[in-house]
Amino acid sequence: MSIVDTEDKVSPVTETTSKKTNSIEQVRYGCAIGAMQSVAAIPRAIPITHCGPGCSDKQFMNLAFYNGFQGGGYGGGAVAPSTNASEREVVFGGAQRLSDLIESGLEILEADLFVVLTGCIPDLVGDDVGSVVTPFQKQGVPIAFAETGGFKGNNFTGHELVTRAIIDQYVGDYVGPKTKGLVNVWSLLPYHNTFWRGDLTEIKRTLEGAGFKVNILFGPESEGVSEWKAIPQAEFNIVLGPWLGLATARHLEQKYGQRFLHVPVLPIGAHETTSFLRTVADFAGLKTKSSRKKLESFIQDEETRYYKYLEDFTDFYAEYWWGLPAKFAVIGDSAYNLALTKFLVNQLGLIPGRQIITDNPPDEFRDEIRSYYRAIAEDVSTEVEFEEDSYAIHQILRQTDFGHKPPVIFGTTWERDLAKELKGAIVEVGFPTSYEVVLSRSYIGYRGALTLLEKIYTTTVSASA
Amino acid sequence: MPINLKTAVVESREQRLGTIIGWDGKASDLSQESAYARGGCEAKCGQKARRICELQGPFTQGSVCSEQMVECQAGHVPDAALIQHSPIGCGAGQVIYNSLFRNGLAMRGLPVQNLHLISSNLSERDMVFGGVAKLEQSIRDAWERHHPKAIFIATSCATGIIGDDVESVAIALEAELGVPVIPLHCEGFKSKHWSTGFDATQHGILRQIVRKNPGKKQEDLVNVISLWGSDVFKPMLGELGLRVNYVVDLATVEDLAQMSEAAATVGFCYTLSSYLASGLEQEFGVPEVKAPMPYGFAGTDAWLREIARVTHREDKAEAYISREHERVKPRLEQLREQLKGLKGYIATGSAYAHGLIGVLRELGVQVDGSLVFHHDPVYDSQDPREDSLGHLIDTYGDVEHFSVGNRQQYQFYALLQRVKPDFIIIRHNGLAPLASKLGIPAIPLGDEHHAVGYQGMINLGESILDVMAHKKYHQDIAAHVRLPYKESWLKQKDPFVLARKTSAGSEK
Repeated sequence: MSIVDTEDKVSPVTETTSKKTNSIEQVRYGCAIGAMQSVAAIPRAIPITHCGPGCSDKQFMNLAFYNGFQGGGYGGGAVAPSTNASEREVVFGGAQRLSDLIESGLEILEADLFVVLTGCIPDLVGDDVGSVVTPFQKQGVPIAFAETGGFKGNNFTGHELVTRAIIDQYVGDYVGPKTKGLVNVWSLLPYHNTFWRGDLTEIKRTLEGAGFKVNILFGPESEGVSEWKAIPQAEFNIVLGPWLGLATARHLEQKYGQRFLHVPVLPIGAHETTSFLRTVADFAGLKTKSSRKKLESFIQDEETRYYKYLEDFTDFYAEYWWGLPAKFAVIGDSAYNLALTKFLVNQLGLIPGRQIITDNPPDEFRDEIRSYYRAIAEDVSTEVEFEEDSYAIHQILRQTDFGHKPPVIFGTTWERDLAKELKGAIVEVGFPTSYEVVLSRSYIGYRGALTLLEKIYTTTVSASA
Repeated sequence: MPINLKTAVVESREQRLGTIIGWDGKASDLSQESAYARGGCEAKCGQKARRICELQGPFTQGSVCSEQMVECQAGHVPDAALIQHSPIGCGAGQVIYNSLFRNGLAMRGLPVQNLHLISSNLSERDMVFGGVAKLEQSIRDAWERHHPKAIFIATSCATGIIGDDVESVAIALEAELGVPVIPLHCEGFKSKHWSTGFDATQHGILRQIVRKNPGKKQEDLVNVISLWGSDVFKPMLGELGLRVNYVVDLATVEDLAQMSEAAATVGFCYTLSSYLASGLEQEFGVPEVKAPMPYGFAGTDAWLREIARVTHREDKAEAYISREHERVKPRLEQLREQLKGLKGYIATGSAYAHGLIGVLRELGVQVDGSLVFHHDPVYDSQDPREDSLGHLIDTYGDVEHFSVGNRQQYQFYALLQRVKPDFIIIRHNGLAPLASKLGIPAIPLGDEHHAVGYQGMINLGESILDVMAHKKYHQDIAAHVRLPYKESWLKQKDPFVLARKTSAGSEK
């Protein structure tokens, strides 16, 4: 057995780490009502929160502010109405209070869509929120509601609840023709993924380049509620990521008879992005010469540009004198974790040292996620772990053998000190990213991959002296 | 009403002080309606002796809760741990408070580290069967992981409603582990204002950390109740030969324990310091310095003189005061010239705003309006020397448009239209973005000590000059973004109109 072979193997985690408990130290997600920011991610939509006085502040300040300093959005952040439930609402119920809030809110706020999200208090005392919201719906007010009490799960759970609520209560039934070439995209969790705005922009750009019309649904490239209303007209749904959005796609399959395509790896770099676009084209059954030609000429154009930059980058990558990291660790939500691992292994030839998924994917998806890592490259197989408690995560990282030089860690603010301890570099790529300011930056697709290379190697090089 | 340390549950601000979160009028009228010598209590006030008519309307935007204030105090004791006994959502606060903790440690030159907050991470099942077993586990995890010198427990809305017996767990584990295990009752729904969270933390510290029978007195030690602001108090009090014990944030458990040995307790903001300072005097005989807060010449002079009187260092104080007056005057003269004609607006916590308005007026900046996030008609000591609003009005005159509201952005538009300030000063988030969209720049006082003392006047003046240059950015933004409010609402001159309709005729 060669030395390289043994080094390539991921060392198993020794069982000295403490047993798994309920505790979560240094959180990596919010709770279900954090999906208020999913509403805020829809242009001109406003979340209405029925919860204690601190819940909405907690979710937006942490998901949207101290995570890339993204800002609360048009209707999220400090704009979002809240019942700020008090002892009175706990003892006597808060349905009337919520009704008054909605009614007055309609006089004050300018929005195309409102979504009521409940917190622990109304869900525990049993407020019948449906009976509060339904009369408004009957009057034609664009409003939906979702029960998102914090104990029901994290903001990924909340996101799917909110999405479904809007589809069922606002978009509604549809009988009519589908629009050829129109697709709905279900991908990154808005705000929680620090780079979602830039990434969704790149996804839309590449799909359009390939000849599709796109309902991107969230973020600056979305047209807002008109796009949501057009969901049923789409030819099919694309779920881009390991698991988030699958529940929505299955629901849409039932509701509107729409097929869906699941692409687990968010594409980073030319190889993955090209493969993604061809997969979508195949699924769409693009066969005509002209449509194929449009697709292939877009791909060729993008790849030419991509590889021109990579050619120039090669001078650095091939002959930078002072050493570059060989091994890496990724600690993050499953979408970014898988995407980064795929890119770093296949494009850069880095060696996976440790992959830890932190978004608590439902059990039913975990075996499949593991299988993606086991086949991360033709000649590279690696393991992935699922852990959400940062204390345990850091113990795992401390016990990992990264070989003869320090790793580059793709993680969060929670790993800043640990990276120093391991003498490695840190690239903050997920919630919380409290020491990066992020606007339109993307790390995916053809363009985002180049930005990612800049970020990784600026971090490395700037630590040289 | 004296502080009651017999029970583990703190009395809320509204119970103790008659705190309100909705009011609009002249500062002098609010002062008249508040307690202290100037207004006294009229017969209709009832038992609380200081009840003020409060404006309450149907529309409210997300506020802040007591639990968050527990995170930002108990969570910032480096050698302690804080368990958030709650579903995971309350734990989201770990992110912001970690950032503040790290940046605060760095600003004070202390070793930077992540905070030790652990969520007990309750799920739906626990809502049915109770969550105390998870609480116990999380306390044990905190102990095994960090061996903290104290373990705080923050309760949540959820655990309050399901009725988890947090105290029994705390008592049992305190006996077993041999360190204080301190329940802090801070359910968000229990108080309309988040500052009750300060009191909850301080209540727990008074009950379970402060040394009960201090063997020695440290006659040169002064407790300074602060958050994570820069170190301005050590140099200042050092001039009087006094040492500073910063509490609660960034203090060690031992720093907290020794509070009972100090010669005095001071603060820079009665909103923050009222409960702890009063409790230390009541329970341990450590005098609370009862004086105007250290802002502007008059406030700082009086504050220093009172510290000097309490700690018997009058001569040193007088020398320092006159030296400082001489030192800051030349630059202050220049600043007054540079700031001439500017209008400022303050939107911060209550007592803090009283201080900042004074500083702006020292700088010659016009202040026609101010928003405070709540109003305490009286502080815990009930001593009129602490009447910070009264001090403001007596020293610097009235404030025409003085509003109380717990960070309601929808009201902020009309509040700003009333006085059309050139800049605003803020502390909590959520209001500056709106001002920005009106072309008005904000000074966010992340370092809460920035405007304290004589140097504070210069600091704030320099910050105003800096931020006025930002105006270019904000005016450009104002020209290019739409507000999420209806035209009809933006035309509304009275930001409290909905509340006036609801509250008309009914005293809440």
